[in-house]
Amino acid sequence: MKDKLFFFNFHTDQIKSYGMLINETNEIKKVNKFIYSKDYYEIFLNIIASIINNLPITLLDYDLSEKEVKDLLPNENLDENYPLINRKIIVEENLCDLSAFSGDWELTLYTSGTTGIPKKVTHTFNNLARMVKVSAKHENDIWGLAYNPTHIAGLQVFFQALFNNNSIINLFGLKREDIHALIENHGITNISATPTFYRLLLPTKKKFEGVRSVASGGEKFDVKLKDQLKCVFPNAKIMNIYASTEVGSLFACDGDIFEIKKEFENLIKITDNEIYVHKNLLGKSDSFLLIGEWYCTGDQIEIVNENPFRFRIIGRRNEMINIGGYKVNPSEVEEVINSHPKVILSKVYSKTNSVLGNILIADIQKRNELDEKELRKFLLERLQAFKVPRIINFSKDFELTRTGKLKRT
Amino acid sequence: MEKLKEIINQIRYNKDLDDVKDLNKDLDLRNDLGLDSLDLAELTVRIEKEYGLDVFEDGIVLTIGEILDKLGKTNER
Repeated sequence: MKDKLFFFNFHTDQIKSYGMLINETNEIKKVNKFIYSKDYYEIFLNIIASIINNLPITLLDYDLSEKEVKDLLPNENLDENYPLINRKIIVEENLCDLSAFSGDWELTLYTSGTTGIPKKVTHTFNNLARMVKVSAKHENDIWGLAYNPTHIAGLQVFFQALFNNNSIINLFGLKREDIHALIENHGITNISATPTFYRLLLPTKKKFEGVRSVASGGEKFDVKLKDQLKCVFPNAKIMNIYASTEVGSLFACDGDIFEIKKEFENLIKITDNEIYVHKNLLGKSDSFLLIGEWYCTGDQIEIVNENPFRFRIIGRRNEMINIGGYKVNPSEVEEVINSHPKVILSKVYSKTNSVLGNILIADIQKRNELDEKELRKFLLERLQAFKVPRIINFSKDFELTRTGKLKRT
Repeated sequence: MEKLKEIINQIRYNKDLDDVKDLNKDLDLRNDLGLDSLDLAELTVRIEKEYGLDVFEDGIVLTIGEILDKLGKTNER
């Protein structure tokens, strides 16, 4: 096991085995209170060292500017660290279960969100490890890391892989061709990423038969994407995961229809078609607005079946755009645009307009020749007129957030 | 005027309406040119992109002549 690959980063050609991970963790003489590094391996080392020594840490995105960090943490010294005087040592077996060390260990991170100022959220070990599954079945998994490890989805991949002693291959922020090659050359079996990440892998005639599990989260998932993923990953189980920085992972399903698991029955409720989460499932944060004991996620659902209760997530309340008094859900419009065979990816947003208050705009990455008229006709057959974007820009590149979601601002 | 005609015809083309050959200042945007409020919203964005001026900023504009007034191009035709 000591020679088994723990982490490979194509960007830097960094190759680290589990043996190196254990040795280098045990050699750490001080744990940084704030992790603000672009070296993913260093982030992982510091997280493990902080858990085994039961020291709270804060993760900061490396691409936050110094000013942004100062604004977030005006009174903190980023170089502050905990010297390890009686430092704990780990051996191979410990890596499968760090919970024995964790005690009241806490990790603080900042939501990136698609808009607005980052919010601070603090999680316990149990919160972060809630969805991790350790078993012999996962022993030979090889993970493609398609998230930033300073975010909750990246941390979930890290813990899932670490506790099963799996290899992690970084795929975040790479070109499509490089990602394809890494999936093939490293025999990646599991990928967890945003719908945007998957859409940008397409189109391809390639089939990655070795991939067994494809998880999608962070943005709205749709059935067309599922069909496309089925073609590219013919042997994979396709999972749609609902998770957020505030609560971690909550639901998973194989399409777009979710159920509430028995164990969460009294901890999740739906009021006015919005998902509310009980405070016991939340991380800690000063910026959570609780209504009684409940946190309103702002995620809106449509009920598919009453008993057993099944629902579909249709978007976020604060994403709704008002066009001349009519509410438009940009995710719904994107989904219809993306269902056009010549479209790769789209982003729908609004601009203030003196006639209607707002006007809908769509940026679209297209696959083949597609003109505005043809697309509009397609959309008008499927959407009410006010939901059809009036300004269509065919663009080459999309700006993504740090979590690999489409940037909304 | 030519540019404005081009913009209006672009909007009409997307709606499957025929090109307007002769644009004159008396034409009513809704009744003569068949533009609804969504089209007018689009029109104002396209005009602003071309001329840097939001012609609907101070209220609704009804005719081609009023657009030209706002753009200060009344003498063109």
